[in-house]
Amino acid sequence: MSKAMFKMTTAFADVMPAEYVELVQSGPFGQGYGVADLGSFKELIEEHPLCAGCGLALAVRLIMASLPTPEDTVVVGSTGCSSLAFPQIALQNIHSLFGNQNAVASGLKRALKLRFPDKHKDVLVVAGDGATADIGLDMVMHSWSRGEKLATIMLDNEAYANTGGQESGMSPEGCVLYMAPTGKKFKKIALPEIARESGCAYVASVTPVQPRKLEKAVRRAILVAREVGPTYVQIFVPCPTNFKFKPQETLAKAKQREKDQTYPLREFITPEAQAYLAALEGGGKHD
Amino acid sequence: MYVTAKVDEPKCIGCKLCIFACPDPNVFTFVKDKKKVVVNPARCKGCGLCVSVCPKDALVIGNV
Repeated sequence: MSKAMFKMTTAFADVMPAEYVELVQSGPFGQGYGVADLGSFKELIEEHPLCAGCGLALAVRLIMASLPTPEDTVVVGSTGCSSLAFPQIALQNIHSLFGNQNAVASGLKRALKLRFPDKHKDVLVVAGDGATADIGLDMVMHSWSRGEKLATIMLDNEAYANTGGQESGMSPEGCVLYMAPTGKKFKKIALPEIARESGCAYVASVTPVQPRKLEKAVRRAILVAREVGPTYVQIFVPCPTNFKFKPQETLAKAKQREKDQTYPLREFITPEAQAYLAALEGGGKHD
Repeated sequence: MYVTAKVDEPKCIGCKLCIFACPDPNVFTFVKDKKKVVVNPARCKGCGLCVSVCPKDALVIGNV
């Protein structure tokens, strides 16, 4: 994407929406902003219809602030709560059929590689746990096995949250939801381990409680996906609506799960990715 | 009835923790000169996550 896209014809400046004018004047394109700069620039995401206190919305907001080069990023999403937020982001984004996100992103990445052979175009897959671990698991795992250079991010709210609260593969054992009143009878899928074994060069699981850690994981995933291979980041995003807690307790819930080890935070890096990251981060350069 | 976050300005130390905890975009603006945060009430959904992380109790949720 050319940065010239974010310039306005001055004659039309007075009829442009206020949010757009703000984005052009103080947006993050080409500025190299990170999570630490939040609050001093216009964010890529606009007002969204997600619930008050939604952990997923917070994670999407932090992901958007963590992108190393937002002007060269395409986001591929899928059906779910996250798809309600993507129409409000100021990036090119594709809404794929439910579960097809990694297949769509594979084709997109290959086409971008042919069209821009000398440039890094990041393809970022952001989908919920239903699209990544249940319905789209075959597309996700095959894209990893093929070694497609994609960064896959899962927003794990542990349920099908916007269809009334059915259990998903990522719901913990015994979890009671509106549409799973007797409790889930199976274990949570260990997707970080599956990702590691399927050929991902970088795997991390994080929560929005530590925004800097989340930023680091997302940046690393995008950078490793440029050169080394597929990457996977799993973000725990508690859902106040379906798990029946108050919206102000979202971060406390995530912290609690992290503390009692029911949602362990992990990071796996292959030696090749480690060497690549050391070369990048050693020089104090992030992109 | 609408509710929104309000900043008690003398108590705010500008740590920006509320900005990192807010699920909605552009609600908080950090004013560099004063080292304080400002709330845009039109964007706030009143969830109270900012209140739960504020170390100085400088934020409250109240009626618009």
